[in-house]
Amino acid sequence: MDYGNPRLADALAAEYVAGTLRGPARRRFEALRPSHPALEAAVQRWQARLMPLADAVTPVPPPPHVWRAIEQRLWPAAVTERGRGWRSLALWRGFSAVAGVAALALALVVGQVPDPQAPVIVVLQGTGEDAAFGGGFVAGVAADGRSLVARPIQPVAMQADRVLELWSVPPEGQGPPRSLGLLKADGVTVLPRDRLPPALLAGGTALLAVSVEPPGGSPTGVPTGPVVYAGPLTL
Amino acid sequence: MNHPTQTAPPSTEPSDLAPLLARTALGDRAAFQRLYAASSGRLFAVILRIQRDRGVCEELLQDVYVAIWKAAGGFDAARSQPMTWMTAIARNRAIDSLRRAQAQPRTVSTTPLDDDQPPPEGAADDGPGPAELLDRASHARALGACMERLSPSQRQSVALAFFDGLSHAEVADHLRQPLGTVKSWVRRALQTLKSCLDHGAAQDRAEGI
Repeated sequence: MDYGNPRLADALAAEYVAGTLRGPARRRFEALRPSHPALEAAVQRWQARLMPLADAVTPVPPPPHVWRAIEQRLWPAAVTERGRGWRSLALWRGFSAVAGVAALALALVVGQVPDPQAPVIVVLQGTGEDAAFGGGFVAGVAADGRSLVARPIQPVAMQADRVLELWSVPPEGQGPPRSLGLLKADGVTVLPRDRLPPALLAGGTALLAVSVEPPGGSPTGVPTGPVVYAGPLTL
Repeated sequence: MNHPTQTAPPSTEPSDLAPLLARTALGDRAAFQRLYAASSGRLFAVILRIQRDRGVCEELLQDVYVAIWKAAGGFDAARSQPMTWMTAIARNRAIDSLRRAQAQPRTVSTTPLDDDQPPPEGAADDGPGPAELLDRASHARALGACMERLSPSQRQSVALAFFDGLSHAEVADHLRQPLGTVKSWVRRALQTLKSCLDHGAAQDRAEGI
């Protein structure tokens, strides 16, 4: 179909906005919109003409759980910070099944831990929050809780203006996540001892989680970007 | 605070929403929450008329606001009104959900095989009918004068399509008219509205409104 024909483009835009353009024709039209400025302009003009019709519809307040679900989808970490709990905690706990595989990967890490005691291994799986973050992280916490080494199972490709930040997430109802520091996306990170909370292994941490943050880490002290990896800490 | 506590204004003025949308584009969550409080009732109502499954509607509303949050940076205040932009997103999602639903066996048939009954009246059984909505919209806007120029059949066809998301075929079913007739009603109605509205807008500009 010749979308370059202005009359046709306008007629299609009209039917698209009115809602009568359906099926494959609608999909084709949507696919073409971004690359056809004239089409896009026609759509915007028709939207301006017809959308005011919707003013006539009596508003129906959506139930409160819709907003909560939106928050949960956009800022899962911030929702935690407000004390609503990590709803997906149970889900992440299920990931321990892959711990065996990850432990193998961790063997490389452990060799570099100065503490001779057997570390506590945490496997951080992709949460699915952002499909760009696949794979996972493994973290080794020295048994005395005073050093932590983490590395990605495979290197993670990062945007230049984003970093990964590691969080200790306390058990539900016990306050906000606590930053443990920034993680290298492509290699081993050894977190300085003085950054780790004393209670890291003393029941103060239910999960380790990794969020995507602006350079330098979260400006607010709690995760601001999507939580892309998480895993339970079981002693 | 689990949900917006701000009272939604009864009528959302573009001037109220534009700054909220602009702040949303900058990642201001509080502004986004106020935007939601001020607009979600309207968008939910729009979706509910088109997609009749309330659970699906709630999911669609989530999708819409997630999309608004992500796309707010692309909103161009010079070219569009916030409510127009957001309503378009909501309508598109709702119409797309029908498309998916139609790919599956329909549980509620709108084809009058059991033809003694009139086909379902769109959303009209639990609220104002599309024609009444059109009248209401007509009172609110310059759209009114232009709507007057449509024939009753044209008005009804546009109303069923716009408010209840009916396809040409469904409108034809509903009005018991040939498909081709309905298509031409809709096409002519849209063209009449266009020339009428654009003429009015040109007049407004000439008068400096």
